[in-house]
Amino acid sequence: MNAKFLTGVSLALVLGACVSMPRPNAALESARMAVHTAEADPNVNKYAALDLDVARKDLSNAEYAALHHQDAVIAQSAYLATQNARLAQARGAAKADDARVAAGQGERDQIMLAARSSEAANAQYAAANAKQAAVNSKQVADSALVQRDQANEETARVQAELDALKATPTSRGMVLTLGDVLFDTGRAELKPGATRKLDQLAQFLAEHPDRRVQIDGFTDSVGSDSYNEELSQRRANAVRTALLSRGVDASRIGTEGYGKSYPVADNADSGGRQLNRRVEVVIGGNDGTPITPRSGL
Amino acid sequence: MSAGLSDLARGASLCTAMALSIAGCATTPMPNEQIGVAKSSVQRAEQSGAPEFAPVEMATARQELASAEKAAADRKTRPATEWAEKANVDAQLAEATAREHRAHAAAVEFDASIAALRQESQRSSQPTQ
Repeated sequence: MNAKFLTGVSLALVLGACVSMPRPNAALESARMAVHTAEADPNVNKYAALDLDVARKDLSNAEYAALHHQDAVIAQSAYLATQNARLAQARGAAKADDARVAAGQGERDQIMLAARSSEAANAQYAAANAKQAAVNSKQVADSALVQRDQANEETARVQAELDALKATPTSRGMVLTLGDVLFDTGRAELKPGATRKLDQLAQFLAEHPDRRVQIDGFTDSVGSDSYNEELSQRRANAVRTALLSRGVDASRIGTEGYGKSYPVADNADSGGRQLNRRVEVVIGGNDGTPITPRSGL
Repeated sequence: MSAGLSDLARGASLCTAMALSIAGCATTPMPNEQIGVAKSSVQRAEQSGAPEFAPVEMATARQELASAEKAAADRKTRPATEWAEKANVDAQLAEATAREHRAHAAAVEFDASIAALRQESQRSSQPTQ
């Protein structure tokens, strides 16, 4: 009798499991909603499709369990479906924000570049004034030159040529500074204004084939170190290329980019930064010895 | 009478089946791997700022992990598995929520910096002389 009852119950359970009309289930309902919401979220489709797949699989497990009235399975799978759908949305939103920031970097660089260009324009005023002063001092130098001793003619001639290049003596040799006015801001292509000075330099080097040159590029302190180092090297290379195209042998030219190191003026104002954006050409002695690297001093 | 015997036999076989299945449960290995996965998800979430930015999900995940470990200690395979699954998904959700929070804050800050930069650039484009 007891056994008979047990069999009856077992059969009822088995039959019950096979009945296919699922009862409404709140957990399942909210899982469907959560998955549906995630499916409608464009960030999920773009950035978290795999998480959405997991949520869908959990939901289909829950649906299957509902058909077979496995309440414990419904509850578990529905919960997992809901949470995985939320997970997909959270991950999608985070990646969308990351993507937005990444896309904006280009815009930020452009604004910074534009800002530097306008700084350069301001510096033109200062440069024009400085030029006038240089012309005045050169006139003084020229008149002094005429009175030089004939015995020092060769020395004087070299000096004159270096003067024409506006080279200044340093412990490494004569240094010729090419300012930023010869480059557009942030760029390394030489502007037409550089042509005359480079012609003079190339001519000087042609007349003095025993002298070497070391081309050092510098920038101001705006922008990252790596950007500035790269920019300074490219500027140095541009001058090198210009000299090569004027027939100077490559073996006589060394280049180095120093980035924002060795400023010649304060980076706090635009005039100072203008002076720091430069290429220095060091002209070696007439014995042809290599020029000491700046960093080695 | 013969029908009764037959029922008796069926009942006995069902009982045997149930006994076997219970015995089966007792010897089924605990979901140690799943608990381990859940535990490392919880630890990752703990270190990702989730306690600050997703405290509810974080607390839920911790409780679920504790339940999974208790169920495993009590040799209850299925609850242990279910708690471990829940702890794992909730820990991931806590971590993702915290990350979303940070990403959003970074994006807002970035927008502000762009706006400031644009303003600065307009200001500095006026000649200083």
